[in-house]
Amino acid sequence: MAPLVTYEVISQNTNLFLAFIIGIGFGWVLESSGFSSSRKLAGVFYGYDAVVLKVFFTAAVTAMIGLLFFSLFGWINLDLVYINPTYLTSAILGGVIMGLGFIMGGFCPGTSFCAASIGKIDAMVFMIGLFLGIFIFAEGYPVWEGIYKANFLGTPKLSESLGLSDGILAFLIIVAAAIMFWIAEWAEKKFPQPEY
Amino acid sequence: MKTRAIITIIFLGLGLIIAAVPQNTTHPYKLTADELLEESYSHQQYYSPDEVADLLVNKDPSIQLIDLRSPNEYDKFHLPGAINIPLQDILSDEWRDYIDQDVKINIFYSNGSLYANKAWMITRQLGFENNYVLEGGLNYWVETIMNPLPPASTSPDEELAKYDFRKGANMALGGQAAVTQTDDEGTPTQKPEIKRKPKKQRVQGGC
Amino acid sequence: MEKEKSPKAKKYLNPYIGGVLLGIVLLAANFVSGRGLGASGAMKSVVVTTVQAVAPKHVENTKFYNEYEEGHSSHPMKSWLVFQVLGVLVGGFLSGTFAGRLKLKVEHSPRITSRRRLIFALLGGILFGFGSQLGRGCTSGSALSGMAVLSLGGFITMAAIFGTAYAFAYFLRKNWIQ
Repeated sequence: MAPLVTYEVISQNTNLFLAFIIGIGFGWVLESSGFSSSRKLAGVFYGYDAVVLKVFFTAAVTAMIGLLFFSLFGWINLDLVYINPTYLTSAILGGVIMGLGFIMGGFCPGTSFCAASIGKIDAMVFMIGLFLGIFIFAEGYPVWEGIYKANFLGTPKLSESLGLSDGILAFLIIVAAAIMFWIAEWAEKKFPQPEY
Repeated sequence: MKTRAIITIIFLGLGLIIAAVPQNTTHPYKLTADELLEESYSHQQYYSPDEVADLLVNKDPSIQLIDLRSPNEYDKFHLPGAINIPLQDILSDEWRDYIDQDVKINIFYSNGSLYANKAWMITRQLGFENNYVLEGGLNYWVETIMNPLPPASTSPDEELAKYDFRKGANMALGGQAAVTQTDDEGTPTQKPEIKRKPKKQRVQGGC
Repeated sequence: MEKEKSPKAKKYLNPYIGGVLLGIVLLAANFVSGRGLGASGAMKSVVVTTVQAVAPKHVENTKFYNEYEEGHSSHPMKSWLVFQVLGVLVGGFLSGTFAGRLKLKVEHSPRITSRRRLIFALLGGILFGFGSQLGRGCTSGSALSGMAVLSLGGFITMAAIFGTAYAFAYFLRKNWIQ
């Protein structure tokens, strides 16, 4: 039964070692999909390259379906899988700030690590920015603590909020992803960029 | 283009299967007898009266006390904020949303700990999380929180602090007649370190 | 469509295959550790460690670090995410080496200077770092991992990130497109 570490199938140290292995897989896939190029990443916002959208949603859908099937087969206890708590205000506000950071910096944290590892100087500068941003948040914490903790909703699933079963919601997300992929490929043809 | 078509078809197919199976079979998880024995043997289902008092005094919104005795007994006396679910109703649909949820920490109690342990076993065996037992039940609660015995003056500081905390908690929770739900202010000045037992729960995740 | 792209871009993995592989990595993370992938959390560990080393007194008096220490019993660097991010650095480096993409450079649109690119990267990083703390996770930790477990918060954060980026894309177009 999984999660392996919660059921004490593996020890804490093995868990950390596997984290490293999983990280290698993560970095490898990001890099080989082209996430180490900020111009490729930013492409999704101008329509010329939707690699972010495709990889992001295919990955989310794969993992989602995988988890639901694993749960169906009794291989994993989904009740013990971490679900991000929802704090409505900070989820929206944080997302907005991150979105602005994304379009300005051209990376998100994961992709910046990956790009920095192959020598992108802009990614290294972005990482310095991350460090400063987190530092500013930590130092000014009392100022935004109220916003940070406002509107706590527990750890609801979208399926629960919509009153759907997990399976039906998963199916709807797949349909939505398929439509987005179709639009994305149309946009790539419509707004081509010369060599980048 | 071709990959997109293949991916789309595969995922739509898998999506249809997962949408077609009923929700409750995607939650097939139940504890085996062995696992249940191990959990109950390790006493991890217990919350001590001190821990519960601490949560109540701090008005921790995450706990829900559940009184398993009859409505009659409940009306006579119950802990602040407790709801009444007689043991025989524990599996009724009416209370299902309270018993099987992952937002609050339910703490069962009755006079002793027999009923609470029964309720815990039944719900735990169904795979429900977040249900716990008030150690020793109301009898022990009365002994420790409502009428704490002053420790001998030679006792270690820890014992004295514990006693102060219990007295303070009792005051904060409405004194001897703890039936009232009104919240008298008054936090104990000094309280003992409440140690959390390691409970099998979600790992901390996030970014 | 494949033909329109430059030979360089051709070396990249097909995005759908990449997505499936990334999904499998994410699934593995959930299976092994009951959690998703992340990135900014590791940076937070670095910040906490640095501040601890430079100004230990300050850590004791600052609420954020106190709350952090309450939630973490072991050393901040001995965390799952730190090890995972070290793996990302190694994995990215290996992939880049094999594909011949290893090169020290500032990547930017021909219409802007390197300096401008770096300034925007720094500003973007600051905003992203701040936002990831406020929103309790970045694109990988909150949006991607959250969506996989159908977390409401994950979907909200995802929509907010992408929605905002699209909304501001027009004003920053000079940085990216010709």
